[in-house]
Amino acid sequence: MICLLGRGLLYLTLAASGAGLVTGLAGGLRDDERAGAWARRMAYVSAGASSLATLLLVYALVVHDFSVSYVADVGSLETPPLISIVSLWSSLDGSMLFWAVVLAVYGAIFAWRTRHGDSGLASWAMAVLHGSVLFFGLLVAGEATPFALVDPVPSNGPGPNPLLQNHILMAIHPPTLYLGYVGMSVPFAMAVAALARRRLDAAWLASLRAWSLWVWAFLSLGILLGGWWSYEVLGWGGYWAWDPVENASLLPWLSLTAALHALLVTRRRGQLASFALSLLMLSFLFTVLGTFMTRSGIFNSVHSFTQSAIGPLFLGFLTLALLGCLLLLSYGVDRLQLPGVPVRRFGFLSRELSFLLAALLLLVLCFTVLLGTLYPLINQALRGSQVSVGAPYFNKMCLPQLMALLLLMGLGPALAWGRTRGRSFARRLALPVLAGLAAAGSVFLMNRERGWVPLCWGLAAFAAVISVQQLWSPVGARLRAARSGPWLAPLALLRMPRRLGAHITHLGVLMAAVAIAASSSWRVEEEHSLAKGESVQFHGYTLGFIEPELRREAHRSSQLARLSVFRGRRDLGELEPALNHYRTMSQALGTPAVLTRPSEDLYLTVVRIAADRVTIRAFLEPLVVWLWVGGLLAVLGALWAAWPTRGGRKPAQRGQRS
Amino acid sequence: MNWKILLPGLLVVALLVLVLASGFGKDPRALPSTMEGRPAPEFELRTLEGETVRLSDLRGRPVVLNFWSTWCRPCVVEHPVLQRYAELYGPGGPVGRDVAFFGVLYGDEPERAQAYLQRVGAAYPTLEDPSQRVVVDYGVGGVPETYFISRDGTIVSKYAGAISAQTLKGTLEAMQ
Repeated sequence: MICLLGRGLLYLTLAASGAGLVTGLAGGLRDDERAGAWARRMAYVSAGASSLATLLLVYALVVHDFSVSYVADVGSLETPPLISIVSLWSSLDGSMLFWAVVLAVYGAIFAWRTRHGDSGLASWAMAVLHGSVLFFGLLVAGEATPFALVDPVPSNGPGPNPLLQNHILMAIHPPTLYLGYVGMSVPFAMAVAALARRRLDAAWLASLRAWSLWVWAFLSLGILLGGWWSYEVLGWGGYWAWDPVENASLLPWLSLTAALHALLVTRRRGQLASFALSLLMLSFLFTVLGTFMTRSGIFNSVHSFTQSAIGPLFLGFLTLALLGCLLLLSYGVDRLQLPGVPVRRFGFLSRELSFLLAALLLLVLCFTVLLGTLYPLINQALRGSQVSVGAPYFNKMCLPQLMALLLLMGLGPALAWGRTRGRSFARRLALPVLAGLAAAGSVFLMNRERGWVPLCWGLAAFAAVISVQQLWSPVGARLRAARSGPWLAPLALLRMPRRLGAHITHLGVLMAAVAIAASSSWRVEEEHSLAKGESVQFHGYTLGFIEPELRREAHRSSQLARLSVFRGRRDLGELEPALNHYRTMSQALGTPAVLTRPSEDLYLTVVRIAADRVTIRAFLEPLVVWLWVGGLLAVLGALWAAWPTRGGRKPAQRGQRS
Repeated sequence: MNWKILLPGLLVVALLVLVLASGFGKDPRALPSTMEGRPAPEFELRTLEGETVRLSDLRGRPVVLNFWSTWCRPCVVEHPVLQRYAELYGPGGPVGRDVAFFGVLYGDEPERAQAYLQRVGAAYPTLEDPSQRVVVDYGVGGVPETYFISRDGTIVSKYAGAISAQTLKGTLEAMQ
């Protein structure tokens, strides 16, 4: 019954998005507003139908209806309800359905938000979105359907991957990343529309920027939560491993960051428009490539889904998208018109040039990461041998580029639009340079350490002071003009959400950069074996093994090691790292215990545990907490800047102020 | 049309797609077995319940040998599939093929296997291989691996990894 209904709803989604594709194209090509309106209605239908299908699958998972193939594959009677719901995206078929529904809902929101705007552009974008829904709909209605009928009905299933049952973040990380990853389709569709119509007006640009920021925020949050999950669950003390699939999420993030900066130059100065559009299309292509990498099984990674037949279909989709983008670029790029956008030239010492440089640098970084990720494949294709490219390549290649980016994060905002006079520029840089030298010098003096860490800290301090100056200047101006008292002056910032958002994001990224440099260079790791009642000194901490403990739940049993933690004579409480055993996995899965302090994390994992003895691995991770804080700050900044502004001032006018 | 973008772009796209496509067709599970087409090595093993099973006694019936263990996740994944088709194709099943299904325990405790099978159900017996001699004879590289032996005692094919319903059904149909 559920299978039949689910499939019916998916066919309805397919029909609606097929019709939407045709009417959208008709509306875009012939400027037919009625066709455009139908494309919008179809978006609501396909969003509705696919949402119902998803709810149906969730229902089947919760009630353990093993006649549904997806439930038979990932469900089990012992799985708690929350994890049953989460297992919607734990395996290939369900995750594809989830993808399709997020895409369809984005399409509906986009349709709703563009219902009064330029119908020609909106119709084109709707056609692209419908086309993507159609592709994913075909996958989930056919090759990768979660609604296949299982007969005879099994009495129980294997349950979802234990890794997904281990931490609550698994309920948040994938959907957040999906919101960013799938959401990339919207800026892509808008870029395609602009190129197809050879027209990028001020309103479309403003909305393109808002959508891109939204997607950027979710992509960042998804990546951040993924790192956090890896840190809290996997127990190796790290948060980033340059795994192919981690790289796959980094690639669109880098190119989208570049696109946002190019878009800013377009919006303010009418320059770099085609570059910005190409970067947006590239970001979307990276998301398709990333999905292909996780779903096709040609890469080996923690994230890989099992090998499946949808790999070639995805490659077909990627090829089609690549060719389409190429054709559109060569069609639209030379005669792209920018009505309503001010067009101004820029000089050498200008903010525009620094943004362009930053975007180019991000692009180079993209290709560095892409090359490292694809190299094993290239090598296999050319020489037939297996190689793996690991962290040393990525660290060595990316670090200098990241340092240059930190420098530009400071220089860019310090430069004026158009042209900057050398002398005033030098004066403006005096304080930030001093701050940078002080930060680098103190890191050097504290640790007698040369190399990347002091450089990173110095550049970050330099850029941070510039961001603070940028935030201070409107407040200071208001104070000097005595237009408001000292308490109300900071409110001036609330009226420039873009400046405030951008610099909060920059400060967050800088904080994260400093934390990454510290935690990856100054990490300490030791292994200790302790008898019951015994304790050990670990870099100022005293760790004592109290006793082991066994905890049983329906789907797993855990062996905990209860450890007391003292810093000097101060009692910091107990930590309980554990080994978990799942019924579907013989290998025990560790859960680390983390004591987070502002200066460092104490991170403990269990290596072996017996009745009276435990072997633990202890890590000291300096400043890690600031990576999460900085990352969240960056996300909040982007959301703040993306938030639709109330008040009816036109973007062009507002542009003068921030 | 801007040909300066289009033509080099096409070249890059073609190269990229070629590299990505080269990753296909290298299914690590489809390793050809040197055992295919050879007579299946004889064995005499006891089931978990204690009955003795000799391969030569099964001559005249198609045999499916599935090497598995409780600690291997793909084995757990494929178990319901094997279960289903053992009921369908096994003796007295609706398809009426009289295929003999056997599990062979690989690197695992018989007690654990028994407890596990009690929980998830067993439509066919599992054999103990205490010395792991049969594992060596058949050249099992890891679990799960599934061997298909024809009525005359020849290994028809082998599948490594969790077998899907389609593959299993296709192979069973082809065995006649």
